[in-house]
Amino acid sequence: MKVAYIFATSRHSVSYVLGKMILPQLEENRHGVDVVGMFFFEDNNFVLVKGNPIGERLHNVARKKNILLMGCDQCCYEREIADKLFDGVPIGCFPDLYKALSGNMPDQIITL
Amino acid sequence: MELSVVTEKACTASCCGVSQRLTASELCDRGLRRRRLEPLAIVGPTLHGNDGLTAQFSLRCEGDAVTSIRFKASSCATLLAYCELIAELAVGRSIAECARLSAGALVATLSDVPVFKRDRAILAVSTFHQALAQTKRQMNSIQSAAIAV
Repeated sequence: MKVAYIFATSRHSVSYVLGKMILPQLEENRHGVDVVGMFFFEDNNFVLVKGNPIGERLHNVARKKNILLMGCDQCCYEREIADKLFDGVPIGCFPDLYKALSGNMPDQIITL
Repeated sequence: MELSVVTEKACTASCCGVSQRLTASELCDRGLRRRRLEPLAIVGPTLHGNDGLTAQFSLRCEGDAVTSIRFKASSCATLLAYCELIAELAVGRSIAECARLSAGALVATLSDVPVFKRDRAILAVSTFHQALAQTKRQMNSIQSAAIAV
């Protein structure tokens, strides 16, 4: 099964659920499904900024597993980080997300 | 057009009173508000860009000066920011000055917009230039009518 994650809430969704569950499982090839994309809202976008330690690992695993990473464009502009993201990580809105996923559509989209 | 001669205006809303900044985020916010306004008398054509995006400018002129600018545009944050930037930069300028505004100048002003989103500047500027052309046509036809009378 293919899934995409949308990180919409801002408490422990990145530092805990992504950083301590999903990411280690992906690194160890035991997450259980194919993750095809991750989309980030609000302060969760800071994980995509160059130099972020969780982001570094995420960027590496995303490149190896062909996982789309995308930040919300308005959220990134608001935080003035749109030009500070990891190389090749785009920003966009829903049309951009769906277009980017259209070649590798998920069976489930999970909002965290 | 000299882009550096932009006066900082205080926010007119009752919320904050802080100075307006030329950032993509703040321009997008102001653009969303301007987009809700009814079009002005001179309405340019609607142009279509990549990803189904559209834009349309409307103007009010007094003599040769553009005195008010509004637009309708798709709800893309980057496109709204570029359209709002045009509206803020061009108002009060002559039509000839406005016609010299380029997509490159917009891109240079909002340097934090990623490369793959900068095509929105071309759509915004092209649409604005079309509205200026429409303005010139209307002004010429009024002059011709006046001469005929």
